[in-house]
Amino acid sequence: MGVAVKAALLAVAMLMLAWLTAWLERRLVRGEPGPALAVALDGSPLLPNRDRWLYPAGPIVALVGFLLGAVVIPFGPGLIGQDLDIGVFYFIVVLDFVVLGIALSGWGANTPDSVEAFYRIVAQLVAYVVPLGMALVGAIMMAKSLSTTRIVAAQSGLWFIVLQPLGFALYLVSGLMQCYRAPFLEPFATGIGGGILGVAGGWPALLWRIALSGLLFLVAAMGAVLFLGGWLGPWLPGPVWMLVKTYALMALMLGLGRLAQPLSVAQMLALSWKVLIPVGLVNVLLVGLLILFGIGPA
Amino acid sequence: MTAFDIAQIVAFTLCAFIAVAGALGMATTMSMFRSGIFLMASFLGVAGLFILLAADLMGLLQIMMYIGGMLVMILFMVLFMHDPGGAMMAAMPGMMAPVERFFSGGLQQGEGRNGDHADMHAGNGEAKEADRENRQNGANGEHHAQHDGMQHGGSDMSMNMEGTHMDDMDMSMVTPVRRIAAWLAVAIGVGLGALVLLRPSWPTVTRHPDPRSAEAVGMLLMGKYMIAFEGAGFLILLGIVGAVLMARVERHPDNGGRDARVGRTDAPPQIAPDPVIPPSPDERPNEEHASEHHAVAHPPSHRRPA
Amino acid sequence: MTIPLGAYLLVGATLFAIGVYTIVAQRSAVMVLMGIEVVLNATGLNLIAFWRFVRPDDYSAQIFLILIVTIGAVEMAVGLGIMMLLYRQRRTVQVDSYTALRG
Repeated sequence: MGVAVKAALLAVAMLMLAWLTAWLERRLVRGEPGPALAVALDGSPLLPNRDRWLYPAGPIVALVGFLLGAVVIPFGPGLIGQDLDIGVFYFIVVLDFVVLGIALSGWGANTPDSVEAFYRIVAQLVAYVVPLGMALVGAIMMAKSLSTTRIVAAQSGLWFIVLQPLGFALYLVSGLMQCYRAPFLEPFATGIGGGILGVAGGWPALLWRIALSGLLFLVAAMGAVLFLGGWLGPWLPGPVWMLVKTYALMALMLGLGRLAQPLSVAQMLALSWKVLIPVGLVNVLLVGLLILFGIGPA
Repeated sequence: MTAFDIAQIVAFTLCAFIAVAGALGMATTMSMFRSGIFLMASFLGVAGLFILLAADLMGLLQIMMYIGGMLVMILFMVLFMHDPGGAMMAAMPGMMAPVERFFSGGLQQGEGRNGDHADMHAGNGEAKEADRENRQNGANGEHHAQHDGMQHGGSDMSMNMEGTHMDDMDMSMVTPVRRIAAWLAVAIGVGLGALVLLRPSWPTVTRHPDPRSAEAVGMLLMGKYMIAFEGAGFLILLGIVGAVLMARVERHPDNGGRDARVGRTDAPPQIAPDPVIPPSPDERPNEEHASEHHAVAHPPSHRRPA
Repeated sequence: MTIPLGAYLLVGATLFAIGVYTIVAQRSAVMVLMGIEVVLNATGLNLIAFWRFVRPDDYSAQIFLILIVTIGAVEMAVGLGIMMLLYRQRRTVQVDSYTALRG
């Protein structure tokens, strides 16, 4: 089928899945602050000083980032938007557009709280990007490819979570950092009035809701692809397994996140640079040793 | 002309336009934040050109590095500059050349500093509108009159404040050397373009590169270019350690540079006085901190044999 | 192959010219750093264009570009560190005020 039809189908599927994610998340984390907070859809007072171009561009850029990132997630044996050779690298890059969108909107809203949210989002980007890369490198090394379909195919014997538990734990933590859920809530904290979600209303609020729920879905889906074997499974069809694993991983991430205290930006940066990066390097070393001794896929 | 060719031409034109317009916007807009965003857009355009040239790994690398890099750069600009949002310059449209006014459209104008600028420019107590009109005519006039850019101090209406009021006005986007720089840039661009167009044809080949570039690049990095790879890693380590060391705040009380620290208002911690040489009686300090420290430091020195 | 090599080189030349304008005309040190990034980018574009059209078998050009981007990032970091120190001394980052070495 043509590229346009495929893209439209993918977009519709993603929007529905993002809605499902938002609904599930609100059932799971009842009453928590952060991006799961119900955003006022009735139109908050129009920001008087908002930047004419930057403020509306934010949610659009974030939504584009989410939709582009969904292209490389395999939902079944042939069900992938486009099997890029550098799929996982493309995924990391494209999810940075969500950060860019929050930054644009934070600055463009021109209130002290939203500019504070802009600072915190850049700090969180700096914190999560290197540990996330380290967590992914282990799975890439074992599968010997950056393409998501080949990573899923490499797990047909044994899932990577069994071989790389440290990498999986690292992915849980850095994935939470990437999604701005507990305990890394600072850009959307109630102390700054919810960050950009507190000042958005109307169609930007709807787009933010879609983009942030979709981001959580994508991070969980990529975790399922990398560590839980993607769509592989005994009785049920591929897409069903993929959705089950994605939402199970999402529930695990959110549940584990709630057990920790919310961290301030300085604590989060310290955690990332002093704990997660050394752990990531140890993980790469361990995976390298495993590959050297022949354990893992051929 | 197949549809694929047309798509390629359209994609090339779009990406090239974004790259050049982004760089131009970065150079001319009055708002620092927009400058960073324009540069990001320019890098996205160049990344698109890389993908068109079948170097998609390089394109994605560009995007990843420069989104993060430009966001951090914007943070530093917000830290250092007086007017990162461009509000001050947006209130003075007469100072900007037409291309700058185009890229600064829609900026929120800063209200507080309008009065100061009008006074500084006019020199006498004229109305604000008359000042702006004069400045606008003056700026446009000299834009046409000074094509060779010989005397950038020619009209003293809009230029004389550069020297006198640089302390509190951050006119970093409007400098007297703009015209010389613009002509220099045009000269360099025309020169390079002429070199490209008038040179006898390059020995181009028409075969397509292998699409599995990631594997080939990886093999090369670990094989032939291992030294460069390790050297780059070492360089990054040096850069990180150096930057962190430079940005640390010094805490030793003898350090002279400590007084230049921005925003430090309390007195520095006192060094304990020498126990052998008793402090002279006229050295009684006036500040509370010093008296506290001396009060703490005195009892031990009295107990020691003088 | 409908787009000739010269088109990419012209885009690179234009970017280079705009980068030179930024370096010379901007007064703030951070903007000068951004102009340097534009110049590096234009060089990289030339590099990849030549790789694609003249020698597509040898991937050394992409290695070269990786190194250029890396060195550009490190230079930006060190430059911003120096700028922080200068800001603490002079309270400004405008390059016109760093005149202590002027003869």
